[in-house]
Amino acid sequence: MGICESRITNIFVSMKIKIHALVLLFVLAIISCNSKKDIKATTESSENLQSVKTNPYTNLDQSPMDMIYYPENYPILRMNHGDTVPLVARVIYSRPHKKGRQIFGEGNAFLCPYGKIWRLGANEATEIQFFKNVSIAGTNIPAGDYVMYCIPHADRWTIVLNKNLYTWGLHVDETKDFFRTDVPVMEQTPPAEDFTMIFVDASGGAGLLMTWDNVKVVLPIMFLK
Amino acid sequence: MIGVSAISQAQPRVPEMDKSPMDMSYFPANYPVLKLQGKAPAAPIARIIYGRPQRDNRQIFGKLLEYGKVWRLGANESTELEFFRNVKIAGKPVKKGRYTLYAIPDSSTWVFVLSKSIDTWGAFDYNAANDILRVTVPVEKQAESVEDFSLFFDKTDTGCMLIAEWEYVKAGLPISL
Repeated sequence: MGICESRITNIFVSMKIKIHALVLLFVLAIISCNSKKDIKATTESSENLQSVKTNPYTNLDQSPMDMIYYPENYPILRMNHGDTVPLVARVIYSRPHKKGRQIFGEGNAFLCPYGKIWRLGANEATEIQFFKNVSIAGTNIPAGDYVMYCIPHADRWTIVLNKNLYTWGLHVDETKDFFRTDVPVMEQTPPAEDFTMIFVDASGGAGLLMTWDNVKVVLPIMFLK
Repeated sequence: MIGVSAISQAQPRVPEMDKSPMDMSYFPANYPVLKLQGKAPAAPIARIIYGRPQRDNRQIFGKLLEYGKVWRLGANESTELEFFRNVKIAGKPVKKGRYTLYAIPDSSTWVFVLSKSIDTWGAFDYNAANDILRVTVPVEKQAESVEDFSLFFDKTDTGCMLIAEWEYVKAGLPISL
């Protein structure tokens, strides 16, 4: 994860951008009517997306892995200030690209259909680590490692923490679910080409912002004393 | 309760895709896929998380990476090596847990450095006081150049070898169980 040099300074909307985004979505919807349905496109490494380079051992991935910390850019803080800043959380996930596909919607024409489990990334299951006890929607979440996935709907995402670690994202063992909560869906403009997670500051804790295509959600995380 | 509406008013910077993407290797290799197929042992033994810089026509060893200097063995964040059980490296016991792995490349040997200073950036704050162990290994020259820096585990009779490959160079860290 690099330090962003160019920054999207105003992802939250002017009306003009909103209209452009709607036009763009309409065009994309028309284009993708003829495109092959491919639910596995964020899964088994997307045969339809050609790899640019080859490596005799392991190719670079179409959906590269990334890592975010709270506090943001913790490794750089630690490099500069040592152990003085407490570490709270980390997410390890992969970042699929939209590449003209329809992402969230009703039915199997969409990459992540409403009501179906989505791994919140690509390839390996997405992992969230808490280095101290936190609270989400009033439930205490003990420090530790969790798999995190979601079930998207039009108006809300169900975010699930699960204890079946070190697994591939398609393999969800719901008997190992630890915690579920619903968060409201908000509009993302302009649409995000790359699936993105980032921690944002919030009073008493942090929000885990997750965005792809034209939607975003924020999972509120409270820090316990 | 955190005000979600307050959060949505903020303007967070959305991180761009990285030039040296992060990747992860497990031992046993492809553990998550084995687990999906029901073929995995109960727990993995090790995994490494690292950034993968590309060679991009540059001379790497002896130039981009000066001989004798501590290298982060990747890009961006320091490279993290996690053991899910106690292991031995070059015969020395290493406890289950997370570590940072550095390397000091030279023309014919590499020194692998296992450090207890974790969740940090690069090798800029490297401090030998945090070393757990150092192992000197021979360098193997490769006929064909490897474009993307690669770290992966190969099974051996006694455990596994963590192999590093880039440009014409290959070096391995022996891990036994």
